[in-house]
Amino acid sequence: MAFRLTRVIGGPEPNRSTVSRATAIAEQLSQECSILLELYRKKESLTTDVLMDDGRLVSVPPTSSQLDIRDTLWCLHSALLQCRSLLERAIAREEEELGGGKKGDYETQRKMVKERLSLLLSNVGELLKAVDGAPVLSPSLEGLELNGPTILFELKLWVYRIFKEVDYWTKTTITTLQGLPSVMAKEHTRTARVRSTRSTRR
Amino acid sequence: MPRSSSSPKSKSLCCRVWLTCALLGLSAAHTLAKDVLGVPQQVSLSANMVAQQLSISWLGGAATTFDLMILRTELNETVFYETVSVTMNQVSGLHQWNWTSLDPLECTSLSIKVRSRDGQVTSEWSNTQIFQGNDLPSNENFQLYPQERIMPVGSNATFCCIVKEGQLFRSIQYGSRITTTTRLSRRSYATTVVNQGPSSSWGTNVVCFDSLKEPQGTVVFVGYPPLLSDFVCETYDLTSALCQWNEARDTKLYGKRGTRFTLNKRDCPKGRQQQRQKKCSVAQWEGNWTLIAENPLGQYIITDSAELSHRVHPVAPVNVSAVIHAWNATVLWQWTYSSYSSLALVCQVELSCHGSKTNYTVSGEGLQSVVLSDLYPYEDYSVQIRCGAQQNFWKWGNWSEAFTFKTNPYVPDAPDVWMWLNGDSTGQIVWKPLTQRQSHDQITGYEVTFWSTEENLQHTHIFSPDTTAAPINLTQIAPFSSDTKVIATVIAKNTEGPSQPANVVIRLTDAEPVAVSRAVYTDKGFPLFWQSNDNATCGYVVEWHNTVCTRNCPVDWIKLDAGTTDVLVESANFQPGVRYTFSLFSCTSEGRELLQHWQGYVQELVPSSSVILSTSQQGSDVLLTWGEIPLVSRRGFLLGYNIYNSSDSELKLIGNVPDKGSRSYIVTGLKEGSHKFTVKAYTSAGEDTGATSSVTVETNMDWLILEILTSLGITAFFLIIVTFICYKKRKWVKKAFYPDIPEPKLPGDWSRTQGPLDVKPSSNSIIHIVDKSDHDPSKEMLVAIPEEDEDEDGQSMEDESVDTDEPTSLRYYNQVVDERPIRPRYPDSSASSASSLDSVRTDVTYTGIQTSGSSLVFQLDPAGSSDDHQPHADLSVSCGGGGGGGGGYRPQMQPRAQNDDIILASPEPLDEPLVASAGGYKPQSSWHLDSPVEAEESGGRAPSLGSPTSVASTQFLLPDGEEHAEAKRSSATTWFTNLLSSAKP
Repeated sequence: MAFRLTRVIGGPEPNRSTVSRATAIAEQLSQECSILLELYRKKESLTTDVLMDDGRLVSVPPTSSQLDIRDTLWCLHSALLQCRSLLERAIAREEEELGGGKKGDYETQRKMVKERLSLLLSNVGELLKAVDGAPVLSPSLEGLELNGPTILFELKLWVYRIFKEVDYWTKTTITTLQGLPSVMAKEHTRTARVRSTRSTRR
Repeated sequence: MPRSSSSPKSKSLCCRVWLTCALLGLSAAHTLAKDVLGVPQQVSLSANMVAQQLSISWLGGAATTFDLMILRTELNETVFYETVSVTMNQVSGLHQWNWTSLDPLECTSLSIKVRSRDGQVTSEWSNTQIFQGNDLPSNENFQLYPQERIMPVGSNATFCCIVKEGQLFRSIQYGSRITTTTRLSRRSYATTVVNQGPSSSWGTNVVCFDSLKEPQGTVVFVGYPPLLSDFVCETYDLTSALCQWNEARDTKLYGKRGTRFTLNKRDCPKGRQQQRQKKCSVAQWEGNWTLIAENPLGQYIITDSAELSHRVHPVAPVNVSAVIHAWNATVLWQWTYSSYSSLALVCQVELSCHGSKTNYTVSGEGLQSVVLSDLYPYEDYSVQIRCGAQQNFWKWGNWSEAFTFKTNPYVPDAPDVWMWLNGDSTGQIVWKPLTQRQSHDQITGYEVTFWSTEENLQHTHIFSPDTTAAPINLTQIAPFSSDTKVIATVIAKNTEGPSQPANVVIRLTDAEPVAVSRAVYTDKGFPLFWQSNDNATCGYVVEWHNTVCTRNCPVDWIKLDAGTTDVLVESANFQPGVRYTFSLFSCTSEGRELLQHWQGYVQELVPSSSVILSTSQQGSDVLLTWGEIPLVSRRGFLLGYNIYNSSDSELKLIGNVPDKGSRSYIVTGLKEGSHKFTVKAYTSAGEDTGATSSVTVETNMDWLILEILTSLGITAFFLIIVTFICYKKRKWVKKAFYPDIPEPKLPGDWSRTQGPLDVKPSSNSIIHIVDKSDHDPSKEMLVAIPEEDEDEDGQSMEDESVDTDEPTSLRYYNQVVDERPIRPRYPDSSASSASSLDSVRTDVTYTGIQTSGSSLVFQLDPAGSSDDHQPHADLSVSCGGGGGGGGGYRPQMQPRAQNDDIILASPEPLDEPLVASAGGYKPQSSWHLDSPVEAEESGGRAPSLGSPTSVASTQFLLPDGEEHAEAKRSSATTWFTNLLSSAKP
């Protein structure tokens, strides 16, 4: 089936190049996240035993196949936005508690991930705007634990969890964006069927 | 020995009383002591958790010495048990003692009790006070202590882990290392790390794992207390103070744990922590400064004091500018602070031009300008200035920003002119292109003027700026003779005008050739030396060029002052492997005069090409000749040539020819066959690749032919001499070798003239012999033998027998047959003669020289073919062929033919077996009887004489022993025999 983005009723639709660009950025960010996580594990001499996954920090409504494109993109955008907030806070806390030393590869990679995440967020925002047809409303960050722990060791684990969270949502973004064309095709078919039914009733 | 005696009963009673008294006394004393050493009361504890210090206080009465016991409550393990001296606080009346624990106090509960001591007397233990740890069942959390501790490098640290209630302890990890642990209580485990190294800026993680694998961790920072050096304060603006210092070592503590500085009790702003050099300023010069550096591990104090005038560090000049001329410039600048106007300054001015720097030092109060002289026109310069206090100099200020400027243009310098003469009346005037420093601006062109002093005519030519040579033809300028001179003048021009003229005098002189010396290159150039020349009024010129060049050469030169006697010639254009010719000229008002020549190489190389080699054979020798290597290819002074035999795979040096003009070499003693020779010229750098030539050595045919001819000539000459001698001495020879045989005296008349009988066979060469004798049919016919000598192999006979076209005389020869008719000098036996005449009317005469023991015999077997009838004499001289073969000449003998009536009618020659069986023609061995007497003695068997044919034979009769040699005589012998025969009278 040829990839063809169609307009959703009542609003504009994302074009193909925007989706591709966003996917490429997400893939790049995913690679950079992997490097960042590796650098972090190395600098902290922490094993995977220590760095166990301890649940999600980002909370969004559960995604399902029943969600339409708009809702899917909105959830994605919301998650990435929370990730960026958490990442900014993690960097700030880390600098506050542990900064002042010589800057190295880790700091450079951390900065790169932060900037790439902002770029991805912007691109997903464009997609959402294209689907929704209205300016993107920033989801509320209320309830998001941005301060982090006060104990230094726990702070380190928290920072790592945030990096993992960014990595997780980046991968989710890649999956979502790659599956976006098929979802749009289904919606197009459904919309056409509804139109056909309505016209028959008339 | 006398003994006192007493009753046992009384003794026992006495002892019992004494023991009782003693016990009572001790009991009373002990009761008294207890009353004096009161039991410590109101024992209380207070803890400093960070310092891991426990403060124990109690009311202890008058005692000053106490026993302290500290136990881990759960396991009842003694941690501390010592006697300590504690004085009573006079205000509170309490005794207090501090105990520092190795373990964090949170690790487990501790039980503490105290008792008073006075010497060996102690009181009862006080009530046990328990310091509760965090491992109480009420605190179920998973914990690790201490939390976020900052420790000095090299210290020991104990970490304890309290596992969650109900969980099992697994391990404690320090950094990436699993440590060994000890158990402090039911839930508490501890590990001690000794001599800790510095941690990273993120600290060292200490993590504890329980059975749930949920980690509990802490971060420890290990670093150094501050250490400073080079603390000094100075002023830039003559008012404030700026103090600087260096951190002598990295404390490894950063950020909020980093070092804080206070200068004269004022906080210094945090600069970049990674910079080792720190600075802090104070608004007013205070004269004394105290710097305190402090971090969690300690502090460092350093001080400095000085007067302001001794610590003036001027700022860099600003707004640098210049007033520019062609040969000088005035550089101007300004000061940031007006207070500098009254400050005595010393300044350095650094002038840069094309990478070279020149420093000027000037001084003055409030200095703001400097004049730079000795500049070059139209040149780019860059200038920087820095200053210091002239009085109580402290240090140089910072350099100003570099200011660049270009001096004004000026007329160019006179060019450096020289000339090249080709030997005829042509040549060229050459000059060196002016450098920027000489041209003073862009050169617009050159003007060359030739002026003949005799003709007083000027020829002026204009050349473009990139020209460096002007061709001259002196015949076009003036009728040139040896004493005529032409002055060439070269002027360079730029936008500012013409340069001063540069002259060179041209004068054709028949210069005598001067010897060429060799110049040896050193690391710095070619050192040349010469004798001083009085004629060199205006100095010398050393000129050099590539020796290969002969006309209009690109020449280089250097002009030297008069009185100079040596020079070191160096040039960036010198190349290895190129021969340069250096010429020394003296400069006079009348022109130049050649004084000396040198030739040399910067570096000799192996020749770039090989000789052209040719070879030629001279008998068994080979002459190698080769040509001269062109000068351009020699690339060094040729030392000689090495000659190699390269016939094999390896080069074999066979000779060396020094380079003294000879370019040939003779290789001797060569064997026949192909040879390859390689000639390699060599210089001091080595051999060239070599030229190879092949030659095939062959036998010299001319010489061989000459030798043969010489041998033949000598042989012919010898034969002529022998022949001549024989001819002259023929009588002697005849007498010696061919004596007259006395004629036999026969009864009867045998004087009938006998002549030679030529038997002419029929046209088909068949002799038909008809036997007319009735009584002896066995007397055979005459067998036709081909006209040939009796070669033993019979082959030639067979061949010759075919030729029967012409009717030929049938002749029998022994060795040599005289063509002439044989005189019937020796009549055979009467029987034979008679029978011959009777039978066929043919007279065949056998003439020969026979040995005395031999006789001419015709063996005819009357019976025809029986072996039994063969004569015995025949057997005696037979040479092979068996008894039946017979070796003698038996013309009439049939080869054992059974048929008695044999008629040789066949035109075919005798077959080989037939001849062979006949035994060939051997008259010497078969002819025995010379007389009928002897014939009769032979048993009446004188068949030859009974033959119907008589044969005349001529032969030498030689001894039997020479029989075989006789048969091999050459034609020369035949000729000799004929000669002798012809010599018969």
